[in-house]
Amino acid sequence: MKLFTKLTLFITLSKLAIVILFVWLLPVLVNRIAYQYNDYYLKEQKRKVLNVVGKSGIDAYLQGEPSYGSYTMLKEEYISLEPAGKTVPVDTIATLRRVVEGDTLTYRVLSHTFSHHNRNYILEVGKTTATIDEYNQPLQRMALYVLIALMVSTIVIDLVYTRLLLRPLATIIRNRLLNARFPFRETSPPIKTSTTDFRYLDDSLTELMGKVRDAFEKEREFTSNASHELMTPISILQSKTENLMIEEELPEAIQKKILDMMKTLNRLKKIVHSLLLISRIENNQFPRSDSFNIKELVQEVTDELEHRLQEQQLAFHLQLSGKVVLTGLNHDLIFQLVYNLLNNAIRYNKPGGQVIIRENYTPGKPYQLIIGDTGIGIPAHEIGTIFQRFKKVEKNENEGYGLGLSIVHTIATYHDIAIEVSSQPGAGTEFTLSFPLPAPASGYKRFI
Amino acid sequence: MKVLIVEDERSIAYEMEAFLKKAFYLCDLAHTAKQALEKMEENQYSFILLDLGLPDKDGLLLLQEARKNYPDASCIILSARGQLEDRIRGLNLGADDYLPKPFSLLELQSRMQAVIRRKFGLQESSVVIGDFRVDLNKRLVIYNEETEIELSKKEFDLLNYLLLHKNRPITRMQLSEHIWGSFSDDDYDSNYIDVHIKNIRKKLSAWSSVEWLQTVRSVGYKVKI
Repeated sequence: MKLFTKLTLFITLSKLAIVILFVWLLPVLVNRIAYQYNDYYLKEQKRKVLNVVGKSGIDAYLQGEPSYGSYTMLKEEYISLEPAGKTVPVDTIATLRRVVEGDTLTYRVLSHTFSHHNRNYILEVGKTTATIDEYNQPLQRMALYVLIALMVSTIVIDLVYTRLLLRPLATIIRNRLLNARFPFRETSPPIKTSTTDFRYLDDSLTELMGKVRDAFEKEREFTSNASHELMTPISILQSKTENLMIEEELPEAIQKKILDMMKTLNRLKKIVHSLLLISRIENNQFPRSDSFNIKELVQEVTDELEHRLQEQQLAFHLQLSGKVVLTGLNHDLIFQLVYNLLNNAIRYNKPGGQVIIRENYTPGKPYQLIIGDTGIGIPAHEIGTIFQRFKKVEKNENEGYGLGLSIVHTIATYHDIAIEVSSQPGAGTEFTLSFPLPAPASGYKRFI
Repeated sequence: MKVLIVEDERSIAYEMEAFLKKAFYLCDLAHTAKQALEKMEENQYSFILLDLGLPDKDGLLLLQEARKNYPDASCIILSARGQLEDRIRGLNLGADDYLPKPFSLLELQSRMQAVIRRKFGLQESSVVIGDFRVDLNKRLVIYNEETEIELSKKEFDLLNYLLLHKNRPITRMQLSEHIWGSFSDDDYDSNYIDVHIKNIRKKLSAWSSVEWLQTVRSVGYKVKI
């Protein structure tokens, strides 16, 4: 999951959790506040009554009567003053039932015992719970609306900000990882960001790519120089052995030894040639501007290998439509690529086996050329390393194939051709080449 | 036929000289461009074999001068810089052929032969061997001046190569390198050269003896005249 998605998810879910918690707590909270306020209100009422009693005496209320009672019109509030006798003094606030003119109503009642002129009185101030709860609903609703509005706006702000914040990361991924192509010859300018972490990441990646590029350049240079330097001594040796071979009256044993030397020398020559070829490709020395009919090219390769197909008595199936013209490639390199694969398909086949070249083409999708054989196959654990230089699958009597597949790989990489290998030991191997679409995708798939 | 070998690597120059001498060429050696120009002034060469990597001058410049002042000499470039642009530039500057190093001496001689044939018309366009005449123009073998025997392209090339290097044992590897060029394969002991030779023998021996086409045990073949 992408970082931005994760953050979005986290922000949204955490806010949602807060809203749910709040909704769940809201009635309790609002209730509590209402009651607290009400209790305060009742205490104020009590204070006022006691004030009046203190100033004007109890008769201001009783006016000669033994007790006093008063309530509002809808019986929402009442106040009563009664002699208390010798009971235990109380000073409580509680929710109680009271009968007012035949109606039983639930009140929040403040009871307070006080003495006036050595007589105890009990004062009750009450308010119906219905009145107290009256504002709860609208209050709750209002609180909820405000909360939701706040949440939505913070989520929006968070997302916009996160997006802005993460934009350099997306640029880093795009410029440094997705668009960057080994061996990283083109470097893009540093990414603009004020976030030090991203700055650090970008700088580190640039530095790393620089190191990879340097190492690669050194290796390439070395390969190229070493190969060139090796050519002269090889030339000398080759001329010398050739002259030796035509010496007259050579004993057969000597001739055979010279022949062995020639073979070894030739092997050396091929290795050096292959290394040079690889370094030339990696050095961009081959223009990629040819267009050709792929079937014709495969046919040319087949003509070169005809004698080997016959020698091994292999059935060859060429299943190409002949309608596909590939562009933006180097003809000679693609020839070499197909040659090496076909040569392997023949070399590692079984007598009487098959070599099949077919295609897979749907307009708008990469053209696929598939070279398959019914040969000895490649064990699964070796498939990952077959393209490495000098990696031998298994030592057998055939020499010198240490670089054939490396060349294939180098040529494919040079042309953006994807290679897939599937193989079943004992049953055969299939190489699938996916050629890039003619118009190279102008942009990589959008990120974030 | 006089040949000037311009090559700073002495070992190679000596081997080329030794080889070409056996094919009855007269050879002079030059190890620098300066020496080469001096020799060219003194002698008339039919061939200049030119290495491009000379210590004192770019071989391509030397080639230009040679072409200008001694247009009769044929030039073959020998170079370790076997790159396409070099090859094209060399040929554009008037070289007759281009041989990348390391090259086979047999191949060198074969190229020289081809240059001669191109240059001096095609007088020597047939070779007589046994009861056969090999027509290099029509690429046919003719028996007794009346029967034309057709060989496949590769068979003819093989026979031609063996004839050119007559009396020398030619290895299967050298033959396959000549026929398949850089695509010759590594398993030299495979028998496809033998198959071609067998076919040549079969086609020709229907008319007359082919004892001149000899097998050199464990090495290859040679044409014995």
